Amino acid sequence: MVLGVVLAVFFLLRLVPGDPARMILGERATPESVAALRSQLGLDQPLLAQLGDFAVSVFTRGDTGTSLVYNVSTRELILQRAPVTLQLVALAVLFSVVIAVPLAVVAARHKDKLVDHLVRIIPTVGLGMPTFWVGLLLIILFAVTLKWFPVGGIGTTPWDPLRSLVLPALSVSLALTPPLVRSLRSELLEVFSADFVTTLRAARIPERRVLFVHILRNAALPTLTLLGVNVSYLIGGTLVVEQVFGINGLGSLLFSAISNRDFPVVQGVALFCALSVVMISLLLDAAVYRLDPRMRRA
Amino acid sequence: MSAASEPPVTVPAPPAVRTGPQTFLARARRSPTLMVGLAMTLLLLLSAVFAPWLAPFDPSAQNLTGGLLPPSAEHLLGTDQLGRDVLSRILFAGRTDLRIAFLAAIVPFVVGVLLGLVSGYFGGTLDYLIGRLVDTVIAFPFYVIVISIVFAVGTGEGGIYVAFALVGWVGYTRVVRATTTALRGSGWVAAARGGGLSHGRVILRHLLPNILPQAVVLLMTEIILIMVAVVTLGYLGLGVQAPTPDWGTMIHDGQAFITTKWWLSALPGLAVIYTGISLSLVGDGLGDAWRVR
Amino acid sequence: MTDPRPLRPRRALTVAALAVAGLIVLSACSTGTASTGTTADAEPTAGGTITLGRVASVTSFDLNNEITANNAFAIDKVFEPLVAFDADGKIIPWLASEWTISEDGLTYAFTLRDGVTFSDGTELTAADVVFSLERHLTVGGPLPLDAPIGSIVADGDTGVTITLTEAYTPFLAELSGFQNGIFPADFQGKSETDFFADPIGTGPFVVSEWDPAGDLTFAANENYWESGQPYIDTLVYKLIADDTQLTQQLKAGQINAIDEVNSADVESLKSSADITVETVGSWEIEQMFMNTTNTYFGDRNVRRAIALALDRDGITQATTFGTAEVANSLIPPTIASSANDEGYALEFDVDAAKAELAKSAYPDGFTATLLIASGNSLRAQEAQIIQESLSKIGITIEIESIDIAAFRARFFAYDFDAMLNSGQSDYPDPDALVSFQADPAGFSKSYWTSYENPDVTALLDEGRTTADGADRDAIYLEIQKILAEDVPYIPLFYPSTLKATSSTVHDLTVLPNGSIRFQDAWISE
Repeated sequence: MVLGVVLAVFFLLRLVPGDPARMILGERATPESVAALRSQLGLDQPLLAQLGDFAVSVFTRGDTGTSLVYNVSTRELILQRAPVTLQLVALAVLFSVVIAVPLAVVAARHKDKLVDHLVRIIPTVGLGMPTFWVGLLLIILFAVTLKWFPVGGIGTTPWDPLRSLVLPALSVSLALTPPLVRSLRSELLEVFSADFVTTLRAARIPERRVLFVHILRNAALPTLTLLGVNVSYLIGGTLVVEQVFGINGLGSLLFSAISNRDFPVVQGVALFCALSVVMISLLLDAAVYRLDPRMRRA
Repeated sequence: MSAASEPPVTVPAPPAVRTGPQTFLARARRSPTLMVGLAMTLLLLLSAVFAPWLAPFDPSAQNLTGGLLPPSAEHLLGTDQLGRDVLSRILFAGRTDLRIAFLAAIVPFVVGVLLGLVSGYFGGTLDYLIGRLVDTVIAFPFYVIVISIVFAVGTGEGGIYVAFALVGWVGYTRVVRATTTALRGSGWVAAARGGGLSHGRVILRHLLPNILPQAVVLLMTEIILIMVAVVTLGYLGLGVQAPTPDWGTMIHDGQAFITTKWWLSALPGLAVIYTGISLSLVGDGLGDAWRVR
Repeated sequence: MTDPRPLRPRRALTVAALAVAGLIVLSACSTGTASTGTTADAEPTAGGTITLGRVASVTSFDLNNEITANNAFAIDKVFEPLVAFDADGKIIPWLASEWTISEDGLTYAFTLRDGVTFSDGTELTAADVVFSLERHLTVGGPLPLDAPIGSIVADGDTGVTITLTEAYTPFLAELSGFQNGIFPADFQGKSETDFFADPIGTGPFVVSEWDPAGDLTFAANENYWESGQPYIDTLVYKLIADDTQLTQQLKAGQINAIDEVNSADVESLKSSADITVETVGSWEIEQMFMNTTNTYFGDRNVRRAIALALDRDGITQATTFGTAEVANSLIPPTIASSANDEGYALEFDVDAAKAELAKSAYPDGFTATLLIASGNSLRAQEAQIIQESLSKIGITIEIESIDIAAFRARFFAYDFDAMLNSGQSDYPDPDALVSFQADPAGFSKSYWTSYENPDVTALLDEGRTTADGADRDAIYLEIQKILAEDVPYIPLFYPSTLKATSSTVHDLTVLPNGSIRFQDAWISE
């Protein structure tokens, strides 16, 4: 599956018009110098030869090649840029969970009352909110007007990078939260009426314990899966937020690499994303296994 | 402690062969969500269809000396950099964006539902293969595909249709496959096959109507997601061709003035959100009426 | 039923939503304070760091093989040429303190400045100059040394004599470019790759930390030949990919200088007391290019009709908010021999445009495509104005906007009807610009328009070999006159080079090629 992704990206990139050497040297550079650069970068090799080089590079060095633009190994670039993006995603997930769980619980316990309706508006509204638009508004409000956070970039104060990532993470979580709220609420409703809950309540176990230990645990399972799918999408999908907030992470690297036709870098980031998705799926499967008492007993 | 004082929680019924239309309509009419959603969507569609009559100005009419004017009696929402009326452009942009979002949603819907049905019904190797394909597409960084395709095909509509046709079907397939697999195990499918009905007939005449509600609810969400993606592409400068107005490009163009003339970027964004709310409510409402949620 | 969960998150959201709305209204109402203009202290103070936000990173210091701005303007902090140009485009002594040119224009004898050393302390000698220029000639590169050089000879340690095989007036201007900077002979024994990974030059700054995909930090060169300078200790080139972010970070005080300013932001930045906007005329010309091999645009009357139909004043005002100057000729006033005030250009006149079109082979108009690179708001606006203007004379323009890599691939293959792009000169001699744009034998074939006019070509050759003076001026004025009549391309406006800094930063020298000299810059409290 990972292989499929990588191969698809390899060929897709070369189908798109545009010459990386020309992108590096600009419009007024002489054709001779562009040709020389192409040769130097190995771009004039036949396609299969390029694919071969690529495969060798991946399996022996764990690297998809040297960036055509930056002249640095892709692996190094990714290792450098990934931490910021991963921190951003982690923070966004944290915000989403912190916002979504209480809301879903409240809504589920007061189904069809005002509170429930108000909470249900959130997925409705949130779904149509473009992330970058939210980001722009957050910058205007919290950074420019209130000056609570920097307007962009990653600062160097002791509170950074956390402080610089709050607004970007918030933008991303405003996209993550709606489906989570909806799903969790729906699952909770199902679980509330389940037999074992009635049994637990009849046994006079305190409501709080029933809620946290048993109900949430069960309701969380499908929602966790949903979270996993969304997070995988996020690893390469933060590029818009990174553009808006001027963060030099994996997303903005991907965007500039695609624009510059920097094949090795795009391939590298695609590979990284695919691997992350696999890892997250595995982690989630493990988490679900742990949380689901039925599975454990089986 | 009073578990008893809580109103009885209605558990969504498992999908079953629908009872007659009367029940559905009755539920539909009683659902405020659906009613409000439909009303909002109707308003949206009407304003898009009748934009040429509703818009006070030609959205392409430039007035180079009257640019960036704040809202006034003449221009209710002000003018943009080239002196074009913002209100008119928002209305016309609605036509463009709604048309693209609805059209782009069709192919993924059809492909996704069919693949899901086939995958869930036949199981076995076919199911396995389709499942692997689904996994691969999901693992694919979404923007790499979309941006590459847009670069290859050129900015504008074509790229968006192709991109979503290639990756948008996955959500439907998963949902439909899950439901189909569950139904396949139930008695009446075996009965239908035993009665001599072909695979095709069983799938199309019997399974399809049962999974359709879920798929349609998902469709509403997908349309919104496509719309947001179109707007995002417009923001990245890769969207619909000028001078066709498009909410995303309007937000992008207005970004340079965001601290002084914030409405140029804020208003198109609100239009997108309004669309999102309308379609969401319709989706939710249909879901309630069909009891799939 | 008691609810154990706090309602705080939900309430907070509602409050936040209301606050967003309220504060947006408030921020829209607030007006910037007018600048009172503090007078700069006369005495520069030493020390401090200037952090310059730029949209692209520095990827290489190999000056003979570079041409793009992101690298060029880092290279020119480390390597310096024999002669340089000042903010007005005049050639001034630099590493060469004086020079003589022979009567026949073939022999240039340079005397090197006293006391110049490389950043590691080694003295600059003639051998270094010879090595550097010869390397450039061997390498060629994207911006090759075009002068017809016969020989480069060291004259002792402090003199260099360059002999040309024929007169070439643009020679000094060419030498002033960053790509002709001087580096140590033999790369001090290192390999080329090693040398350029840690470059040693005579320039005011030395590379101290360098991330090719991120930020670059320069430290002041202790051994710089202008003693006591640069005043600042550190210069940082910070990578900020988004141009709105550039302005935001400057305003928020996160950085104290930016390399690019959106013309839309100029007004609001100027009115801010904490910010200074620096501007200088550039060597760029925004133009609409027409492919003369195209059926419609091959017709001279069609091109003239289009030129008459465009309101260049309106376009300039609407798209650059008055920060650019309307173009009336190919050569901008910042370069010698500009015909900007000569009145050669076809002035905006819709009736005359229709009349001109009527004389052509397509009096009823036609449909054509205008190609632009996406992601550039300014160009998109220009294109829309042009589309609108041309529709008034019966020409239907379809705008095709594709991403920059695809855009370049298209016009390099001469596959376009008309396009919007910008011409640029790399050094202050009219020949650079005009040759590139009007020489059918040049590699671009007249900036990809395939325009060919034997009169112009003859004048070009003459201009290259005529010494500076009234005669030479007349040649270029004549060229511009012909170009204004044939209009293979329509110059629209000359964008200004715009930089902005915090008002604590003083005495930056902004150059017309877009670079900044930081030797005199200092930071006040």
